[in-house]
Amino acid sequence: MSVIELVDVVKRYENGTELITALEEVTFQATHGEMVTIIGPSGSGKSTLLNMIGLLDTPTEGTVRLNNREVTDFSPDQLTEERRSEIGFVFQDYHLLPMLTATENVELPTMWDTAIDRHDRAVDLLERVGLGDRRTHQPTQLSGGQRQRVAIARALINEPDILLADEPTGNLDQDTGATILDELTRLKQAEDIAIVAVTHDEQLVEYADRVVELVDGRINT
Amino acid sequence: MAWRNLGRNRVRTALATLGILIGVVAIASLGMATAALQQQATADLQGLSNEVTVSAGPDNTNDGLTDDQVTDIRTVTGDATVVPEKTNVTTLSARNGVETRVSVTALTKADAMYNVSRGQISNRLRSGGLISDSVATQLNLEIGDPVSYEGRLYRIQGILSSSQGLGGSQRELVLPMSAMADQNEYDSVTVLTTPEQSVDTLTTDIESWFNENDEEIVRVRNFAGVQENVDSFLSTLQIGLIGIGSISLVVASVAILNVMLMSTVERKGEIGVLRAVGIRRGEVLRMILTEAAFLGVIGGLLGVVVSAAIGVLLFEVLLGSPLEAFNWASAQYLVYGMAFAVIASVVSGLYPAWKAANERPVEALRE
Repeated sequence: MSVIELVDVVKRYENGTELITALEEVTFQATHGEMVTIIGPSGSGKSTLLNMIGLLDTPTEGTVRLNNREVTDFSPDQLTEERRSEIGFVFQDYHLLPMLTATENVELPTMWDTAIDRHDRAVDLLERVGLGDRRTHQPTQLSGGQRQRVAIARALINEPDILLADEPTGNLDQDTGATILDELTRLKQAEDIAIVAVTHDEQLVEYADRVVELVDGRINT
Repeated sequence: MAWRNLGRNRVRTALATLGILIGVVAIASLGMATAALQQQATADLQGLSNEVTVSAGPDNTNDGLTDDQVTDIRTVTGDATVVPEKTNVTTLSARNGVETRVSVTALTKADAMYNVSRGQISNRLRSGGLISDSVATQLNLEIGDPVSYEGRLYRIQGILSSSQGLGGSQRELVLPMSAMADQNEYDSVTVLTTPEQSVDTLTTDIESWFNENDEEIVRVRNFAGVQENVDSFLSTLQIGLIGIGSISLVVASVAILNVMLMSTVERKGEIGVLRAVGIRRGEVLRMILTEAAFLGVIGGLLGVVVSAAIGVLLFEVLLGSPLEAFNWASAQYLVYGMAFAVIASVVSGLYPAWKAANERPVEALRE
């Protein structure tokens, strides 16, 4: 069963007077325990597709299903709730909050929830990504690879079904990139989640179970 | 979290706090200043507000008020204290040859009319006198020293307090009634009302007793109107001053608006991340508003401390009693200042917070 499913999704932007079609009848799916890599030249619609999968944006036409539920016409607030419970994000620039410690950054998505305390899970996740001794460090005191691992731990704090990564190794050197990808592969199996990564990185393609190539907003099969 | 966000740009936070501080100080200390003025004016006028002064009118056949008329006034005014006075002007000279003109008041019941800062007042003064501080200083007179009037000597019993209301002469010698025994009429009669009596009613009663038709046998004056006028003037002044204070708080609010707007624009990407990982719009809104409220509370508290210090200083200078500043009449402005600071901060945080919360995460992340 697929975790996320896009059927005939079209996305058009109005750019001034011009109508730009970013995605053209894209059909895509990802299942538990699978790592899918989306590749393609810049401007091919990779980020737009990732935004659709991450429920950050809604399609102009087509259908989006999350865990077999149609979420296409959800309101922004409903989509926020879905992201909160089902989706984890890893960004190229890590996007950690500078004034919070590593543990606090990991807890961030659940920080406003007074009902549940995810502190133990945050500590556990940091240990699993090998940062057990860096828990009270602030992002500026961590290396790029360490920051990205904090970001991965943050993406997993809500026990998501799907982890989305936008150029996760884009700012890292070859070796650090490899450890991050090992980490993701391990987590994919341990947590049984779907990982969708957008990349230019050849290395990442090697780790993928499946590669989807996007050209001019269409999937190239 | 909100607290730490403020710590990220300390200079900006400090400047916004300073803006609020100035606004609060402006409102609170101006309010307290008028409270101090009001209290001072009330204290000064208190001696006058229960006085009715009766003197001979233009249609009176005598130069002053006669014993019979004084008796009539006593009858009309009931329980009120009636103090007839004779006045004159004389030249006093000191042993070292300094001479000065003073007004002389002869009366009984000096204790009802005057306060002394040194020495004492006995009811009838007997062969003693009271003298203004300024005259005593000028002539180098002390308590127990003699002064001469119309060939008779009087020992100084007390030095008059400098504050005797608007009517109090600054250069005055007060003597017993017997000093002017050769003068038959009284120049004025002061009626001191009891708390139950109305100054205005007594004024009307005395006028209607003596004055018939259009004749003005006696002239009756009271100062109740003066206090009312002063009070209303001070209220106007207060509104004006607090208005000016409010303008500075409006300026401070704009500063907060600017600070919060800047900081949300600067953190656009970060807020996008928060929204992407599932932080609700209301939660982002709350975070930014909390930051604004923190600014208001810190600035407000600092402002209250500074204003309280200014208030203590003001009351010390104007009234001589610094702790009066913490009476509700003036301390309420500290509360208003604080409330204004917090409300103004939250209100000016609303727009930036709303803007940040409603940014589409996709747009915000693209930054």
